[in-house]
Amino acid sequence: MNPVFQTVRELAEAVRTRRLSPVALVETVLARLETLGPRYNAVVTVTRERALAQARRAEGEIAAGHWRGPLHGIPYGAKDLLATAGGIPTTWGAAPLREQRFDFDATVVRRLEEAGAVLVAKLAMVELAGGMGYRQPNASFTGPGISPWGTDAWSGGSSSGSGSAVAAGLVPFAIGSETWGSILSPAANCGVTGLRPTYGRVSRHGAMALCWTLDKLGPLALTADDCGLVLNAIAGPDPHDSTAADRPFRYDEADVDGRRFRFGVVRDVAATAEPAVREAFARSLDVLAKIGTLDEVTLADLPYEAITRTILMAEAASAFEDMIESGAIAGLTAPEDHFTAYARDTILAKDYLRAQRLRALVVREADRVLSRLDALVAPGRPGVASPLDREFRSAARGNVADLMGAIGNAAGLPAIAVPNGFSEAGLPTSLQFMGRAWGENTILAAARAWQGITDFHRRHPPVEER
Amino acid sequence: MSPARDPVEVDLLLALVRHRYGQRLTGEQLEALRRAVETIAEHAAALRAAPLTNADAPLAPFTPFRADE
Repeated sequence: MNPVFQTVRELAEAVRTRRLSPVALVETVLARLETLGPRYNAVVTVTRERALAQARRAEGEIAAGHWRGPLHGIPYGAKDLLATAGGIPTTWGAAPLREQRFDFDATVVRRLEEAGAVLVAKLAMVELAGGMGYRQPNASFTGPGISPWGTDAWSGGSSSGSGSAVAAGLVPFAIGSETWGSILSPAANCGVTGLRPTYGRVSRHGAMALCWTLDKLGPLALTADDCGLVLNAIAGPDPHDSTAADRPFRYDEADVDGRRFRFGVVRDVAATAEPAVREAFARSLDVLAKIGTLDEVTLADLPYEAITRTILMAEAASAFEDMIESGAIAGLTAPEDHFTAYARDTILAKDYLRAQRLRALVVREADRVLSRLDALVAPGRPGVASPLDREFRSAARGNVADLMGAIGNAAGLPAIAVPNGFSEAGLPTSLQFMGRAWGENTILAAARAWQGITDFHRRHPPVEER
Repeated sequence: MSPARDPVEVDLLLALVRHRYGQRLTGEQLEALRRAVETIAEHAAALRAAPLTNADAPLAPFTPFRADE
């Protein structure tokens, strides 16, 4: 079988039944990463040696009758902010750190290895996960991330390579991180599915810290079902991360045929989005009406975006205080990253605390609304992928509205972005389902139901023709 | 609509940035930093305009610690 653009679920069945060799699968993926990865600036390091060793081990175990589960023998890429042992660099996308190495694997990497998954690449990312205030795509020492849907289309960030590698069929799934938008944005720009889990669902031990109270790790893949399979492997408490919650998670794979959902739409949530996004969202609401009810929702008047942005800027300034104060940020790629963070010295401690006090109101308001719903639905991003040489609009920077991102990340809520259309230029648009805290199974079910009646997730960019 | 920022406060905050990092910065960069400080001041004004009571505690995890437990 040709494994390219097959879902994790499909590959797993082929591997389990020994119709597909994990070694052959990994060799195919390694070759694509090495030949096509540079086209999208998607890859920092191909972990060939480690990958082949893991694939051979998987093949031997499966041949001996020991199948670990649906990720056994399945290759994946990790955003290059996840620590990896064995001399593999972990660069955080930053030129000054391109030789950085760790002597341990991040918990997520270790859990995936225990599930039998095969690490094939460390994937490109925006330098320091975008925490220094970048304004345009060329903000990584590996170059601007490129969406496989257009030669001049940004992949989104900061999990740039995690989005583009999945979209180009270089890996079946990838791990990304989100502080505000860094999973949903590349999922949207690259036309793939991205799951931002509840804050604390997945251990961050071994992951670069950008904002201690906002950072989450999660999967990007071709389908919501695949995201569920991956989350099942990586979720859970971790003695090395006090924020990893002691709450069990088991992916609920129950059939969603005939299931009805209660969806909410925040009034005017798409009002400031680009026309292509607004139109795709309007069409999506008509489709969603086939699988559930839609109610308009109003939210209490709170400065949601100021709250999340203040917390993000203050924590990022502290997390990278050494690099900022020493001037080492001048070695970063984006010119604006050389100095923008200096402004954050002017955030007063009492304003940061006020943001955290208001955040307590946000979490209660979000739960009040979501307790009566299965999910809030909204565009995954307010625009399609921007050109590589232009400043993009960014909610984290404050020049575009992103109420859902501000609330969802401040309240630590899970959300999943799925493709829902294309612009006239052929660039993907996206739909998000945002759920109640710890409600991943509900939004995964809604996204599976969406993908059961649409085919956007089965469309792939013309990678081979270019 | 967001509450207006105080221009005097922006000048004072920018003076802090200039004092700490001015020797590393070009005029163009300082102008960009003025806009960044203005944004921070706007956010602070929006936060201060939202009512809170004495009982509204920050959402920050703090746990007393003992190594033997």
